[in-house]
Amino acid sequence: MNNTILGVSHLKTYFFTRRGVVKAVDGIDFELKRGECLCLVGESGCGKTVTALSILGLIDSPPGRIIDGEVRYNNLDLVKCSPKQLRRIRGKEIAIIFQDAQSALNPVFTIGDQIVEQIRLHLGMKYTEARDKAMTLLKEMGIPSVERAMSYYPHQLSGGMKQRAMIAMSLSCDPQVLIADEPTTAVDVTIKAQILDIFHELKAKRQMSLIFITHDLGVVAEIGDRAVVIYGGKVVEMAPVSKIIGNPKHPYTAGLIDCLPDISKTTDRLASIPGTTPNPIELPQGCPFHPRCHKAMEICSQQQPPEVRISEGHEVSCHLYQ
Amino acid sequence: MTERLQNIARKIGGPLYSNRRLIEYYWQRTQRNKLAVLGLSFIAFLILLALIGPFFTLDPTLVNFEENNLPPVGFATEESVYNIYTDEFTTTEISGTWKHPLGTDSKGRDMLAMIISGARISLQVGLIATGIAITLGTIIGVLSAYLGGWADNILMRFTDVMMTFPFFLLLVLIVFIFGPSLALIVLVIGITGWTGTARLLRSEALSLRTRDFVTAAKALGASDGRVIFGHLIPNVASLIIVIATLSIPGVILAEAALSFIGLGDPTTTSWGIILNSGQQSLDTAWWIAVEPGIMLFLTVLAFNFLGDGLRDAFDPKSNI
Repeated sequence: MNNTILGVSHLKTYFFTRRGVVKAVDGIDFELKRGECLCLVGESGCGKTVTALSILGLIDSPPGRIIDGEVRYNNLDLVKCSPKQLRRIRGKEIAIIFQDAQSALNPVFTIGDQIVEQIRLHLGMKYTEARDKAMTLLKEMGIPSVERAMSYYPHQLSGGMKQRAMIAMSLSCDPQVLIADEPTTAVDVTIKAQILDIFHELKAKRQMSLIFITHDLGVVAEIGDRAVVIYGGKVVEMAPVSKIIGNPKHPYTAGLIDCLPDISKTTDRLASIPGTTPNPIELPQGCPFHPRCHKAMEICSQQQPPEVRISEGHEVSCHLYQ
Repeated sequence: MTERLQNIARKIGGPLYSNRRLIEYYWQRTQRNKLAVLGLSFIAFLILLALIGPFFTLDPTLVNFEENNLPPVGFATEESVYNIYTDEFTTTEISGTWKHPLGTDSKGRDMLAMIISGARISLQVGLIATGIAITLGTIIGVLSAYLGGWADNILMRFTDVMMTFPFFLLLVLIVFIFGPSLALIVLVIGITGWTGTARLLRSEALSLRTRDFVTAAKALGASDGRVIFGHLIPNVASLIIVIATLSIPGVILAEAALSFIGLGDPTTTSWGIILNSGQQSLDTAWWIAVEPGIMLFLTVLAFNFLGDGLRDAFDPKSNI
């Protein structure tokens, strides 16, 4: 057993603001298995990014704080780790790729310098060695004329190139786990396809364990092995991707799938889920989704739904299946 | 160690060498401001003068009462001498000689040599004290912004207190207690002059620290020190250069003012000291006070012009 590499349980990250407590992540559980690609799916503001940042202890404090829960990695609880231990894990063991590569790269240093810095910091290589390694990585990411690209500043590269440079940087220390926070959101479709190809290769060649954060179910179908659907800071459904897409159980997941336009049908209006994401300061009582749910029952507004196992590896939190 | 030094050299020299295009761009933008170029030329001239001038001039401390109060070349003064035998005043006209192009002071010291050695001292004072102040201000300002919360509060309230403190009074007090020494004056100007820098850099760093690249650096395992020194400070480098250039004249003036009121280091010949010695004989030997005065005026003006030019050149929003 133990082919779980990263386990998140009962994770609660709250932000204490002047207007009240924002429960951005309110008890999330999931496990990442070795070599799999786990997708975190949800609308904007449902707590996907905060979950990712909490794993690495990057929540700004104040106002944020991890209230409860643990993040298990190699017999370590990352929530309780000292800052020094965390620093050694960040980047070397668990790396993260941010959504907006433009702002995630330091504008005053060249791409080469930034990758080299990262390699030298964790692997203690000499400058020339680190430079060679950085160039190999950039070549692997499909960046043409690497020698020149190394001396470019972030603003001299296109969006796709920047994203690739970011990925190269994250991979430079061969991390065990790679967290990708919406890496395809800020780029156009052709670049998106190229970046997804890179992730496919990572999975195939390096047996990398990936946490892929996205709101795009198309991307989930393309790359994911399992998916975790998050709503209002809670996990509502967790299942293999084929089941999430083919046989969604939770009304929210089903709603998301219905929203995808179907090319074989002609419709005037695209389907949508009524309402908007709840205000995280005042999450609704009971199931956070009940005000927008067309199958809502009386119990939904009173009690939090329990986790129900539908089949092997398919769990859903909904009163419908009790 | 050498590896480390090489790395630092690469970080500083690398961009200058590999980015000739960018350097040229900034140079062109600075050039568009004619006053800034003028200021830069004057500063370059002054530095050259201070570096190699003393090898070509007379000894600035050489006293010669035979040739005291000589006017500069092209000027003449009258000296009345009482003759005890004829009981008459004989008036002789003294004109400047090329031996002392800028004249001599009341003790017969060569003014040119004194002005040049004064340039050396004034530049030293300006650069060293500014260096201390900018270093302190940068560290305190950026640290304050980065740490935030109560640390930010404490550091900034401390800055406020330092700002309201009449530092000239402190300077006078310290010189009075410990005696006038140039090193002490430089040190005091340095450790009291960082407040403005800290304020400015804090506000700049506040907006930088919430940017994604800071989170990204931390996510890749960078320590707080590395984020501050490796990522935040390089991002405010252009601002630091401008602040430094603009604060040098203030420091030079502060030293001159202190010397003028008689609290300068008497073993040096700074411009302020010469100015002080010339003020009593303003009616008979005006050049002793006027010459260092002009130099101070030009130097301060040059640094201010250059600072203004650099500020406009580094600001991507300004159209020049």
